[in-house]
Amino acid sequence: MSIVKKPGAIANWYLPGIFAGMWFTLVTMIRNIFNQDKMITKNYPEDKYEYSPRFKGNHVLTVKKDGSLRCTACMLCATACPADCIKIKASEHENPAVEKYPISYEIDILRCVYCGYCEEACPVDAVRMGPEWQTPGLAGTNFSYDIQHLAYRAQLKGGVLSRVDDEERHKAGI
Amino acid sequence: MPKCKINGQEVEVEAGTTIIEAFKKLDSEIAHYCYHPGLSVAGVCRLCMVEIEGNPRLQIACNTVVQDGMVINNNSEKVKETVKWGLDFHLINHPLDCPICDQAGECELQIQYMKFGQYDPEMAEPKVKKNKVVDLGSKIVLDSERCILCSRCVRFTEEVSKTNELGIFNRGDRSEIGTFDGKPLENDYAVNTVDICPVGALTSKDFRFRQRVWYLKNKETVCPGCSTGCNVKSYYNEEGLFRVKPRQNDEVNGYWMCDKGRDTYKFVNKENRLLEPKVGQSGQWDSQEVDGVMSVMSTKIDDAVKSAGSDKVALVLTGQYTSEEYASMLSYFVGHLKSKNVYHWVNNPESFDEFDGLLLRGDRNPNTKGLLNGLDQHGITAPWSDLETKLNAGDIEVLLVAGPEDPSVFPTLTEKVSLFSKAKNLFWMSAAKTEAADSATTKTWQIPLKTYAEKEGTFVNHKGIEQKIQPMVNIVDCAQTLSEVASALSGQKVDHLGSLVKDRKTNHFINHHGGGL
Repeated sequence: MSIVKKPGAIANWYLPGIFAGMWFTLVTMIRNIFNQDKMITKNYPEDKYEYSPRFKGNHVLTVKKDGSLRCTACMLCATACPADCIKIKASEHENPAVEKYPISYEIDILRCVYCGYCEEACPVDAVRMGPEWQTPGLAGTNFSYDIQHLAYRAQLKGGVLSRVDDEERHKAGI
Repeated sequence: MPKCKINGQEVEVEAGTTIIEAFKKLDSEIAHYCYHPGLSVAGVCRLCMVEIEGNPRLQIACNTVVQDGMVINNNSEKVKETVKWGLDFHLINHPLDCPICDQAGECELQIQYMKFGQYDPEMAEPKVKKNKVVDLGSKIVLDSERCILCSRCVRFTEEVSKTNELGIFNRGDRSEIGTFDGKPLENDYAVNTVDICPVGALTSKDFRFRQRVWYLKNKETVCPGCSTGCNVKSYYNEEGLFRVKPRQNDEVNGYWMCDKGRDTYKFVNKENRLLEPKVGQSGQWDSQEVDGVMSVMSTKIDDAVKSAGSDKVALVLTGQYTSEEYASMLSYFVGHLKSKNVYHWVNNPESFDEFDGLLLRGDRNPNTKGLLNGLDQHGITAPWSDLETKLNAGDIEVLLVAGPEDPSVFPTLTEKVSLFSKAKNLFWMSAAKTEAADSATTKTWQIPLKTYAEKEGTFVNHKGIEQKIQPMVNIVDCAQTLSEVASALSGQKVDHLGSLVKDRKTNHFINHHGGGL
């Protein structure tokens, strides 16, 4: 592909273009200095952009009323995951009403592509994508999140309650 | 022989064949739960409905015998409608358990529902709740809610295992499968009921919750548990084997296999395997490279043969290896070393000839017949007592033992190892990691071998039927087959990576575009 040039000698006059650009920069700078609230650029990380609470960021495992994990280890999220970043180990629960539960649930967050298929696949509202989107870490940080982090991290303030309740479903005759 | 027409296709069947068998003969699909070719006809699920021309009402295909000139179809609107409503009746009290049900993925109810489902149920009443997670002994868990009362398991315990543990209790929508007075379902064939259960009502404790079935691949192989050689499918993924299920072969095992055979996947997995060659004695071991051990082995044998003759070298074989491996090992011994010092290690002489009347034989090796054939061909008749005498006299310089693949069927392993320890140098070749082998008191080299899941070959069963096994996974990379050992000993260089490179798929993308990405 070749660059299209305007014909004629006037096209070689670049100085007017440069001055126009410098003038625009100067005006914007002065406006921003006296009008910092309306400035588009943020002073990250002191000043953060607020995303909507519906933003689909880092995963959350929801809990039941008694605080235990809602997840039944059906592995539909792991099956749906296109990045293959969810690893679940299931086991038999001592309570026959629960029957199956995960003894380990790990999301390799560096592999995750935030597609949201896990959330869609989940039949019991056990995995959701929360509004957190900033999870930086230094070298040596564990980016493979386990149950402790996914369900009970400090930001969740004791866990997020699942919408699907077994006892209510049982009473409704389902 | 009567001829009939099924969905427009002409088919000739033997007299007395039922319509469902004629469908199977044509490989034509027909919905069914209670019918099983290995069991009697019950006719309870009412799902195999077919329309027979001239007959005003639909008939069940499993209990109607084909008559000459019948015109049958199961794809008319009338049949589809009937199956749809029949299925809806099965699902009235079926719980929404699929996420935690082990059968999900191979469940007949799911399969039929995707085809004929009444996607919008019309039942307003709540579901009848029944017992869940009922413990039926050491092998099986029952979930009564999921059961659709096809009675396959009940018929199995009546007709095949003849133990009659299971029955259907109560009436109507409160009917439940159960055992009398909570007695456990403990017979040697109990897990077959899990296989034939079309839903997730009976699940195997051993496999329960360990994997979702859609993560597992399967390959057809032969059970190495005993000399019956049942035809099985092994289910595996890259971590190892997870379960074994029978497949049909009327000449060998019919549709079934015993529960002992279902354990034959365990010794293949990494935790029970010898992972690298090692040298040492009495619990003190150093790891070694395969090539190093092979050259030590070949020098030791050569030295012993040169200094004192080939009688100083002996080989012990068990019935756990393939015919091909026996052939190469024996031709090395007889052809190369000119020695007939080969002995057959019978692992359990007391119970060797037992038979439980159905499938399980006392000879717990898959290929005893193949070994005996090999020994016959080379005219080797030396009895076991010869080896014992020679070992006790200290006459054996180098002893090669192709030991157990599955150590659990070798009750006298420790005693045998202490007997073998009387040789000056012991080369213990085995797939299994055993305490017995680690306790050997003479200078011992342990060499890991491949199991039946990692190699191809032939097993000859007790009737003399030759059956092929095929490789599925590679669990221990440095493991050898006896054929590889034999060719290494006879001086041929074995390319350990050869098979790997051959199996690797070509990257067509790179080849076609003449370069990297």
